[in-house]
Amino acid sequence: MNQKIKTTTVIRAAFMVFCMALFFATAPAFAGETLNYRLKWLFNTSVAGDIIAETGGFFKKAGLDVSVNEGGAGKNAIKELELGYADFGVASADQVIRALEKGADVVVLAQLFQVNPMQWIYRSNRPEIKALSDLKGRHIGITFGGNDETIMNTLLAKAQLSSKDVRISSVRFNFTPFLKKQVDVWPVYRNSQGVILEEKLAAENEQVKFFNPADYGVSFVANSVVTSGTMMKKHPDTVRTFMTALLSAWEFAMDPANEPRVLAQIKKKDKGTQDDIRQKQLEATRPLIKPDKKTKIGVIDAKAWQQTESIMIKEKQIKAPVDVTSRLVGPTQ
Amino acid sequence: MLFRRIYQFLIVYCLGVVGLLAIKYAAGLSNYVIPGLTLIFDTAHRMLTGYFLDVLNTLSVAVLGQMVSIAMAFFVGILGRKSSWAGSFIKVMAYNIQAYPIVALAPIIFILMGDGFLSRLLIASMICYFPLLLSVLGIMASPIKDIEHFYIATGRMRWQLEVKIRAFENLNKLTTVIAGSSTLAMAGTIVAEFIAADQGIGYSIRIALYQSDLACILVALFSIGIIISVYQGILETVGEQMKHKWFAPKEGDLI
Repeated sequence: MNQKIKTTTVIRAAFMVFCMALFFATAPAFAGETLNYRLKWLFNTSVAGDIIAETGGFFKKAGLDVSVNEGGAGKNAIKELELGYADFGVASADQVIRALEKGADVVVLAQLFQVNPMQWIYRSNRPEIKALSDLKGRHIGITFGGNDETIMNTLLAKAQLSSKDVRISSVRFNFTPFLKKQVDVWPVYRNSQGVILEEKLAAENEQVKFFNPADYGVSFVANSVVTSGTMMKKHPDTVRTFMTALLSAWEFAMDPANEPRVLAQIKKKDKGTQDDIRQKQLEATRPLIKPDKKTKIGVIDAKAWQQTESIMIKEKQIKAPVDVTSRLVGPTQ
Repeated sequence: MLFRRIYQFLIVYCLGVVGLLAIKYAAGLSNYVIPGLTLIFDTAHRMLTGYFLDVLNTLSVAVLGQMVSIAMAFFVGILGRKSSWAGSFIKVMAYNIQAYPIVALAPIIFILMGDGFLSRLLIASMICYFPLLLSVLGIMASPIKDIEHFYIATGRMRWQLEVKIRAFENLNKLTTVIAGSSTLAMAGTIVAEFIAADQGIGYSIRIALYQSDLACILVALFSIGIIISVYQGILETVGEQMKHKWFAPKEGDLI
């Protein structure tokens, strides 16, 4: 009987060790292997530069073998960096700050969006939002727990408005409440959903406007390229080569002269979007990535990062400062 | 039975957490990837009460959803028990509806019913009813020949009597399936809340996922596990009592 129990225990222990080994075996080894670059979201025009870097041969020309992988709802680049599934990734500033608070070893190499695409759409026939005080009495959509909630709370606080001065509705994955005019100010990603909604409403003879928090002094940083501190320390040359190739690809992708070639490459990855929408999305992406000719793509706006951290502390998203600026290793403004 | 359910859940939950912690410390992962014990306890201290209330909210919808799905399963099961054209048509329709992913149907449901209580209830019922339907169809389509033969031969067989005989003879199976479907009802409600609701534990999990907060998820899973264990335990106990009552000889009956 005892022998039987011992055997069972040994089998169970062996099974657990096997499971653990399987878990660690899935983490790819690095040296000389394919570099994995995890995006934040699905392939679409918002990641034009990332797509071009791979399909346009920018990585290959730099002597790198890079696999650009789609992101998605359940994917988190920073976690993948730590688990060894990715070598580079795209993460939003709030993800980086939250990760730093919990001890993750992450550094920021470049800030892709100079202007946060998270904005609010509203119909032109509604009173224009010229000042933050114009938000008073509006029915505003926010995604509870999302970035837009933090941004809107900051805007309302700045306007000295309380939640009683506005009507807040929870935003879900579909636009029905906005389309049915149940909610009049709706959060969208300006260069993707914003374009689609603009087109949909234009078909119904309705014009729209966008409310950009950055115009009112709230610069909450969006997507940035990140890697682990260890990667940065152990393979600085690889990181440098990767970033040079990636940012060159972004420069190429944002140049209007290259539009037809860029759109053709995006189409290969994003088959579900119509050609005209894709073209308008690319047009809307340019000023967010490169607001003016002088701005170098990828430059890090350290002040905006500091503001993002302060907002998150104020909004109790994090408990204590994380000194995020010490983790910004790319070129800063 | 109730306490056994709870401590069995606690064992499974603790094993899961220990497994995660083992991976965390073995791989030297930060609290961002897998939270440490201190962070889990700290999060539990902050969130547990709120999450328990959220789970109770979800459970209330799940219980109603389960009732609706039981009614739906019996309705379709009884109608579809015959091997007639109508019976097979109902079966095909019921099977096809189940084949559609709920995330694809959800937008239609939300447009028609809004994103409040009714949508949660409907999605919970839709996820829960299919396994129930399979069991009910299986039971209702299998004649109890020894008993039914007598009523058929004497011309006293009615559809109500047929259903009663088949249900009574398979009471054990039915109570087990109904108790088991409570987990599905709960899962269905959580899915509905995750997709579109502004209350319930599914909604809270969605917020925690937005913020990549695994500690919150673990606390939410604990709350769900405890409450669903209690609910299932209660269902099983009620089922046992019902069986005892139904099978016990009544006064004056011959044993």
